[in-house]
Amino acid sequence: MSHTHTHGDGGADHSHRAAPMVEEITDFEVLEIAVRELAIEHGLFTAEEHRRFTEWAESIEPAAGSRLVAKAWTDPAFKARVMEDAVKACKEIGIDWAEPTGFGTPSDYMHLVVLEDTPTLHHVIVCTLCSCYPRPLLGMSPEWYRTTNYRRRLVRWPRQVLAEFGLILPPEVEVRVEDSNQKCRFMVLPVRPAGTENWTEEQLAEIVTRDCMIGVALPRPGRTADVHPVHKARRPVHSSPQHGEAAQ
Amino acid sequence: MSATSDVDFSRIALLEAIRSQGKTWDVLAPRYGVTNPNPPWKTSLVAMCDCLGVSGTLPTLDRRRAEDELAQAVYSDVPEPERQLLALVHTMLNRGLVAEEDLASRMRTVRSRLEAV
Repeated sequence: MSHTHTHGDGGADHSHRAAPMVEEITDFEVLEIAVRELAIEHGLFTAEEHRRFTEWAESIEPAAGSRLVAKAWTDPAFKARVMEDAVKACKEIGIDWAEPTGFGTPSDYMHLVVLEDTPTLHHVIVCTLCSCYPRPLLGMSPEWYRTTNYRRRLVRWPRQVLAEFGLILPPEVEVRVEDSNQKCRFMVLPVRPAGTENWTEEQLAEIVTRDCMIGVALPRPGRTADVHPVHKARRPVHSSPQHGEAAQ
Repeated sequence: MSATSDVDFSRIALLEAIRSQGKTWDVLAPRYGVTNPNPPWKTSLVAMCDCLGVSGTLPTLDRRRAEDELAQAVYSDVPEPERQLLALVHTMLNRGLVAEEDLASRMRTVRSRLEAV
């Protein structure tokens, strides 16, 4: 089947280069399509349901949570409503936890508790059972949040795990780990940092990154992205003896 | 995480064949200069999990428990999100939601469709 298309530019040469893409079809991609098609044919769900969930998943992002925190920092009445009924308060920033089905998703039960940090109390969230996460506010969970490594170790050694994220809290700050469950989601309302007086909500929202609302980082002026330190192995394993080391 | 399990850890030939190719996104993306951390099918996979959960066909907690156990016992050397995909399909095959031969056949059909010019 022949096919032509234009870009509405009168046939002018494109001065920009297309973004690179993976130019091969892997069996992982084929597998995802094949199993989905069979599931739809077997009546496990419909194509429309899948389209709706996909659209929703692509629309959620941590910016919603950032807006909620910034507004709570600047509007005490809004913060009070957040602490009273967080799901209801979310509607004020355009987040409806009932989407996309009218009753949420199976992974996002419509009960949210916002955990307010203080100068002497720090919260961090986890889901030891699986990977429950407040997706309507924070988007898709990072891969590390889903790992058994994070889930198992955070509840046992929270300060050690937080330190691995670069967050070292003084001993006088109590660390409270909140374990999500099948019926309740949590997010952290961090302490507004010094040096942000007279900032607008938009400015404040920029420093409230995803990690701050999980509780593995603290907001601070100038920090607008989650960048995790890479720890090099202290005793790298080499495939062959180096620097005169004798093979054992 | 439960100590007992109803997950069948037997290797599945179709999934082993896919795994053995090693064509995971973390390998391919840098090869083509792509910076997107996730393959384009990731969101669709998440939506599929949601659909199966909301219908009760494969409850979220069951799926995640199976994924954890399979990740540890069978697919520990596979990175995300390919590991999540293999674990989901492994679980669906275990539960008879799809059949391996049907899936293999459909994969051939899908591939020929995607490669059509």
